[in-house]
Amino acid sequence: MMTQGKSRLVGNYGRAGMLVVAVLSLSACVTSRIEDSRTGETGIREGEGVVIMAKSYHLGNETESGFINCVGDAISRGSSGLRVIPTGEFVDALFPWFEPRTAPADTKGLPELMSRPGVADIIRSKGVRYVIWLDGDTDRVAGGGSLSCAAGPGGGGCFGFAWWQNDANYEASVWDLAGLEDAGRVSADFSGTSFLPAIVVPIPLIARTQSRACKGLSDQLKVFIADDPV
Amino acid sequence: MSRRPERILIPALLALLAGCSTDVALRDPTIPDPLVPQIPIAVGARYPEAFDHFIHQEQVIGKEKWQIDLGQSNKLLFNKLFASMFRDFKVVQGDGDPSSFGVDALIEPSIDAFEFSVPEQSQTDAFAVWIRYRIKIFDRQGTQIANWPISAYGKSQTSTFGGDEALRRAAVLAMRDAAALIIMQMDKTTGISSLAKANAQSDAGSDSVIKTTAVEELNDDAG
Repeated sequence: MMTQGKSRLVGNYGRAGMLVVAVLSLSACVTSRIEDSRTGETGIREGEGVVIMAKSYHLGNETESGFINCVGDAISRGSSGLRVIPTGEFVDALFPWFEPRTAPADTKGLPELMSRPGVADIIRSKGVRYVIWLDGDTDRVAGGGSLSCAAGPGGGGCFGFAWWQNDANYEASVWDLAGLEDAGRVSADFSGTSFLPAIVVPIPLIARTQSRACKGLSDQLKVFIADDPV
Repeated sequence: MSRRPERILIPALLALLAGCSTDVALRDPTIPDPLVPQIPIAVGARYPEAFDHFIHQEQVIGKEKWQIDLGQSNKLLFNKLFASMFRDFKVVQGDGDPSSFGVDALIEPSIDAFEFSVPEQSQTDAFAVWIRYRIKIFDRQGTQIANWPISAYGKSQTSTFGGDEALRRAAVLAMRDAAALIIMQMDKTTGISSLAKANAQSDAGSDSVIKTTAVEELNDDAG
């Protein structure tokens, strides 16, 4: 009796698990374009690392903090992962010179910044070789369809079809703090359309545009920074 | 797309019980030690009563009411900032004359305006905070030498921190923005560092008068 109940329970869990896996594996397509343009030699030594920063919101930038965290995580993972110095730790150690108002807008401001008391020492002690400035965001650019759901004492369900398109456009500028120069930039343009058909049960076909952009940009940044031997 | 009724009802009930208002309290703005050389001057700061317990409310029309309680965080901000910026710093109390505090300059910060916007208002995912501080500086004689307005801005997205934490974070960023501006511009704008030199010259002038008198007396005695 116990064995039968247990096997039925396992069977239910198994079917539910398979359903979850099947739904999760259904994902819509994302088109992507990643480009880089190199203006200086790159490379990274043992003990050197990178800092991921968002361009200032004083300049109108709206890069999502979740995306910055995602790029930081992705760049540090894997066998070719880079050492990522936490942004908050870096900004606090150099307060007030990397606040949204005060951070240099381009590499022309780097010599003046490095000449300020203590700045070069802290950057050296933390092993920061590159600052990666992220710019851009993910926007919903189109959408449509109609979906309605209802619930009653006897149950509920949905019927209809909805869709939406997200565009993720990001650019990463890489500053080399050793040479005080612009090393180049990597851009990622991803576009994905998600669908949500529903006949009683909604079946989401989600295009994970932002997370794909994060992975694509991070992989390219790793290659961009570490590919060339010093 | 259907939701279990309790998932909707419970938050709605809680919102009703709370009178559709969100209270956010900020206790420690965590301003790091600034990386700047100290200005060799003795400074006192006198804070208004509002700095002991600053509360601001914002009613979003047709939506909920937001309240932010900054507590003593403005005082903490300026204490940290001035203690790092100036060689000697102390907080002074009362309405006494600046000359009685034994400082080269007396600073009186205040808040002219505080505003914030929530995502419902800005149609974005972000909370934004604007603070307009005013800094008055008096010399040792009590003469006002500067009246400097500072506009600071902070912005934080909802998705990462959630509503309360995003507003708190935006307020801290606005305070850090003000601190950065003060560090970069204060001496240039107000000329506060020149007060120590002026006071030293004034003291030296007084000393030389005394010495001259003493010399004259000696000469008189000799004669």
